[in-house]
Amino acid sequence: MQLIMNTVVLASLYCLICCGYVLIYRASRVLNLAHGELMTIGGYFLFTVTINLFAGPIPSFLLACIFSLTLGFIIYFFLMRFMTGESVFAAVLVTVALGILLRGLMTSIWTSQLWHPLQHLGMENSSHRLMEEAVISTFGIIKILGAAFLYLVLFFCLKFTRWGLRMRAVGENPLLASRRGIKLHKYYAFSWGIAAFSGGFAGMIQACDSGLDPGMFVIGLKAFPVVLVGGLDSLVGVIPGAFIVALAEILAINYISPQASESAPFIVLLAMLLIRPWGLFGTKEELERV
Amino acid sequence: MLRKTLLGMGLLFFIMALLLRPAFAQDAYLVGCSMAVTGPGAEIYGPVKDALDIYFKEVNARGGINGHPVKLIIEDNAAQPSKAAADAKKLVTQDKVLLLINASLSSTYAPMVQVAQQFKVPIFFAGGVCPDEVYPPKTDPYQYCSTAFGAKYDSRFALSFIKEEAKGPVKLGLVAMNIPISRGEIDFAEELSKTMGIEAVDKEVTPPPTPDYTPFAAKIKSAGANWAYAWAPWGCEVRVFEALRKLGWEGKYLAYAHINAEDELRRLKDDGFYVFGTNAFFADNSEIHKKIKAASEREKSIFPYTQLAEGWIAATVLEEILKKTPWPPDPEKVRSAMNQLKVDIKGLKGGPLAWTMDNHYRTATYYRVYKWDSKKNGIVIVKDWTRLEVK
Repeated sequence: MQLIMNTVVLASLYCLICCGYVLIYRASRVLNLAHGELMTIGGYFLFTVTINLFAGPIPSFLLACIFSLTLGFIIYFFLMRFMTGESVFAAVLVTVALGILLRGLMTSIWTSQLWHPLQHLGMENSSHRLMEEAVISTFGIIKILGAAFLYLVLFFCLKFTRWGLRMRAVGENPLLASRRGIKLHKYYAFSWGIAAFSGGFAGMIQACDSGLDPGMFVIGLKAFPVVLVGGLDSLVGVIPGAFIVALAEILAINYISPQASESAPFIVLLAMLLIRPWGLFGTKEELERV
Repeated sequence: MLRKTLLGMGLLFFIMALLLRPAFAQDAYLVGCSMAVTGPGAEIYGPVKDALDIYFKEVNARGGINGHPVKLIIEDNAAQPSKAAADAKKLVTQDKVLLLINASLSSTYAPMVQVAQQFKVPIFFAGGVCPDEVYPPKTDPYQYCSTAFGAKYDSRFALSFIKEEAKGPVKLGLVAMNIPISRGEIDFAEELSKTMGIEAVDKEVTPPPTPDYTPFAAKIKSAGANWAYAWAPWGCEVRVFEALRKLGWEGKYLAYAHINAEDELRRLKDDGFYVFGTNAFFADNSEIHKKIKAASEREKSIFPYTQLAEGWIAATVLEEILKKTPWPPDPEKVRSAMNQLKVDIKGLKGGPLAWTMDNHYRTATYYRVYKWDSKKNGIVIVKDWTRLEVK
């Protein structure tokens, strides 16, 4: 039972992180390799808000989420907007440079110390026994509920709302969408904003669960195989992808060796690339080689 | 014509700036440092840099050493071997330093040691793990180390402490991070436990970093461990402990006390979490601790004063080295001073730090164990200084 619980919690974290990768790729066909840094900076926003403004968890989280959302918009309008129409390779390199810049800024502003935002939030990360042999922490529950809520809201908005429909149109055929009067930059900015928000929220929860340091961005990179397994442009695919990769890691820890958990996600990814390179639910198309 | 003249003058000034050294640098003891101020491990090495800066600012304000100021030339290698190599070359060939200091991950050691050996400049490891070459009997003539933790000696002390403290059968869980130094030490501890009658029931080697330490902790718990021993970077040590507690594990945990251990004991407030190390905690409130705290506040260190002890020790050792280096100094004189060094670490360690020709680690190392005591609402010493000979 504990094994299943661990898998669900890890998969939920991956779902929260990978939502951002998929949204940006789906809207603008850009692979954002700075997503791990956006995740980490969300944790630092929470930490800063908590020690300087609000000590309560709800206002702190809300304000930090607004900061993350705003950061996504700023990144798009002041940087990624200029890459629209340029080659995919160039846009990806820009995100790599952005990641390096964000990492440097984080270290300069917050230093490289290990911080614990939870200390200042007035919350405890206590454990809860759900079933006889399964224990879960408070932030483990928040990861699961947060991921479920985010995906439900996104599915509903993308399927039934006007802006969701337009965002899908922009992703599928930007030329046609712009000719129909849909403002491309607005919807690209939305995708960056929501991606930064979801990554930032994942970072905030992870910071409360395990502490915060600049090295946390590597978790964002570790989650990347999930996206490729599920399908780079499929939000639906992230869920089974996250479960498969999380399960592979947990099984590797329990039945092979703890060190094997590092390579397990990439072995799953390799297997998927051999069998179905576009992922479980991705679009079968000519994949541009980066 | 005017444009050409201006360009020519600009070029002339530039060349002069390159060729002329400031008088200060020529009159000073030049020490070159290549440190991970940013990048992996910066949370450990950043405070070392701060402590060195603060310490020598005060030394220079008092008139320097032997009447000469000390100039630290600090480069950030971001824990990258290629940058460390470039830093070492630049410091030795351009800046002509007397001594190199490395405070970075062990992956940066080989390129820096190569430069040190090539140009016969001693290299001092301050804050990073001590390489095998500083231990007796086969000591490298150019490598020296003042860092608190020491492979194999730490585990010898730790396991003997666990056996003594347990007062009964011990089922030991072992925790490492998947980096060579941590894995090697925990493998050594596992072998040592067999000779000490301690049953090692599980060993977890966590990847760096890991999104969730719960699966690793779950295995330690399900193996029935009543004690756990961790020798890894602090983030790994404390996260596995917290994951164990979240799973309802009630055993006792002993971890190596890195620079943030004291603050973390106060945060966790868990009576079952023990830390051991060779540096005294600020909770002792000795004169030297008060001095470090005051200096840190005066100079507005970006790191908490509780994290400056390791760097302060390195600075104290460096000051003593330079005091024993006659003017005009050269790397060979510095090395000669380092080979017969005995430094009073003034309450920061259990005893003096002494180097000899055959021992560039220390002739004896002293350990202490601390933990949080909820009845006293503070950090307490569980086991006072225990001396181990380094042979």
